[in-house]
Amino acid sequence: MDFSFSSDQQLLKNSARAFLDEHCKPATVRLLWDDPRGESESMWKEMSQLGWLGLSLPEAFGGSGLGMVETAILLEELGRAAYPGPYFPTVLAAAAVDAAGTDAQKKRWLSAIATGDARATVAFLDSDMDWDPASLTTRAEKSSKGWTLSGTKRFVPWAHVANVLLIPARAPEGPSLFLVDPSAAGLKLSPVQGMDLATRWVHLEMDKVPVAPEAVLGAPGQAAPLIGDLLRRGAVGAAAEMLGAARRCLDMAVGYAKVREQFGQPIGSFQAIRHKCSEMLLEVENSHSAVYYAAWAQDAKAEDHELAASVAKAYVGDASRKVCGEAIQVHGGIGFTWEYDLHIYFKRAKALESMYGDVDYHREQIVRRAAR
Amino acid sequence: MDLNYSPEDREFRATTRRWLDANIPKQDLKTLDERKAWHRRLYEAGYVGMLWPKEYGGWGATPMQQAIVQDEMARISAPPAINGLGIGFIGPTIIVHGTEAQKKRYLKKMLTAEEIWCQLYSEPNAGSDLASLKTRAEDQGDHFVVNGQKIWTSSGPIADWGILLCRTDAKVAKHRGISCVLLNMRQPGVEVRPLKQITGSSLFSEVFMTNARAEKSDLIGNTNDGWAIAQTTLGFERGGNALGRVTRYVTAFAQLVKATKELKRGGKPLIEDPSVRARMGRIYADLEVQRYAALRVLSALQKGDAPGAASSITKLSYTEFEKRYYELALEILGPFGQTMVAREEFEEVDTSSGEPGTFATAFLWSRAGTIYSGSSEIQKNIIGERVLGLPKEVRADRMKA
Repeated sequence: MDFSFSSDQQLLKNSARAFLDEHCKPATVRLLWDDPRGESESMWKEMSQLGWLGLSLPEAFGGSGLGMVETAILLEELGRAAYPGPYFPTVLAAAAVDAAGTDAQKKRWLSAIATGDARATVAFLDSDMDWDPASLTTRAEKSSKGWTLSGTKRFVPWAHVANVLLIPARAPEGPSLFLVDPSAAGLKLSPVQGMDLATRWVHLEMDKVPVAPEAVLGAPGQAAPLIGDLLRRGAVGAAAEMLGAARRCLDMAVGYAKVREQFGQPIGSFQAIRHKCSEMLLEVENSHSAVYYAAWAQDAKAEDHELAASVAKAYVGDASRKVCGEAIQVHGGIGFTWEYDLHIYFKRAKALESMYGDVDYHREQIVRRAAR
Repeated sequence: MDLNYSPEDREFRATTRRWLDANIPKQDLKTLDERKAWHRRLYEAGYVGMLWPKEYGGWGATPMQQAIVQDEMARISAPPAINGLGIGFIGPTIIVHGTEAQKKRYLKKMLTAEEIWCQLYSEPNAGSDLASLKTRAEDQGDHFVVNGQKIWTSSGPIADWGILLCRTDAKVAKHRGISCVLLNMRQPGVEVRPLKQITGSSLFSEVFMTNARAEKSDLIGNTNDGWAIAQTTLGFERGGNALGRVTRYVTAFAQLVKATKELKRGGKPLIEDPSVRARMGRIYADLEVQRYAALRVLSALQKGDAPGAASSITKLSYTEFEKRYYELALEILGPFGQTMVAREEFEEVDTSSGEPGTFATAFLWSRAGTIYSGSSEIQKNIIGERVLGLPKEVRADRMKA
């Protein structure tokens, strides 16, 4: 039983922190708010050179063969920096190709992703916003040249910069996954902007989008387990990122409480503030336990890995909402200003709270598993 | 990171399970003598005093092994050992700060529960502000004469010995004039009055000391070193009950699930009610996180990392969780959450300390956790000052004259 990071894992964390402190400062994030793509090409290249994009891909494709724990370590740091870009959607799609792809599909995409030459994303949500993979409404129909996809996909992260879209759709055989070219005919992309300007979403309208037979990922109709697995990895990854954002908010609140003086004292000396900060730390530490337990459980295929993913997402959703919100409260008026950086991280946590299954969805998954 | 139990720990768990299955008392233990006899068997099997060094009668086991034993006992609702304060806190204090004579005289009988111990710390006007305690001990050469009153003394009515914090110098700052001495509870100058708790039982008490005698040879450390010694005692968090506690929560959850399948609302089982499901999903996530946090603590202890002030986070987390947990259970159970004697099987629940009862007793007992051993507010002060490094508050008793 060892809940602490190995020295390699700690090294990865430290180097990620150092890199992002230098290359992903709040000022960098602010500059990208106004950028049409919303991400930095040079940062992406450097991340690929650091080996982050191939972190959990096989060595044969230029990856490092590591697992969800290492991915979570990186994502926590990326959340702490409110990193703007398609890192997580890309590695999530890559994990699917790695798990179910043909040799040709792996050759086509995995090396390109590991080297930073390709970006990818996964389109989970259909028009009615149901996270349950069983209720897919996007349709896949057979055509003379393979398949056509029709339907709506909502809130697809970073699809506008992706080279390939991983699209779950319902084929006559059942749930299936398709690797779709974003420039395909009949596919319309339009941006959707939430409160976090460093998170970009895209609305997809698909009207008989042609897909070649070799673009099916795995056997048609057999994708339900893989979609479930991707959603769980998404949930754990999002929880890790929210944990990072929450820790940043806590650090800023504590730092501020030490120097801000009122009534002749630093406000951190008042129990009203100190107790709030202590409760925030408690939530952050429990979130750490939840995230890394769940990440380990996915890697180890532990008996409770499905439960643990939902626990992490549900718990950290509540915790980060509380921690980031209370950080604004501790700051007072300055915390509500655009110029002060706190809202960058507050909004990042908020953007992820409803993604990869919201709190209600995951609570229901928990009850299904715990209350049999 | 590897959250698998080691082969040794799995083997230890299997051995423990076999022993408990074969030896668990067939009937409820009613008298103190029966509980002492069960305690003795647990001790002889190596399941009490596990972390104590072998030279003092302990077993030199690991924190994980201790947690596994508590976990297995919780799994089958085995009656807990007794003398918990003695074995968990007072004994280790004597081991660290006591003389050889004291170790020889007291430790073994503490382990075997031949002598029951209590902690004489809190006073009517010294609760969270423990250092303001007033009980006086006058130096009479070879002994002290003790006068004063203690309160909230757990196990007071059955205790043979107590570890006493008392004022030996009233002229210096309050933290500097306190001594720590062992007090024989079986003497005319010591009167114990049981206090009835909101659970209806009388596990704690008031203790009145009127010209009671404490031997100089029973002084722990030097005169006026008591505060520092008490700090080490209060800081002992060995994670012993970390897993067992969570297993009891899980068992209670299974009981709650059973209840929500039997009880109905609008003609349908409660478990199908979306509002009930949402609340149960939320609390179960919370419960699982307490389990992950317990594993994290045990992993740190296993590596020899002293948790220090971080143990305040653990205590704050599970005690506050426990209140939320039983509040929710009672909300869902309606009047079934009120019964102090179970009629339906689903009402039977052990408290987090392992005492058998109902949801109502577990709920009532959950109110104690955020008060004893440093209230939640004190824990938050400790976390704020010592973990987060926030400035100390300005307090009247810290101001310069």
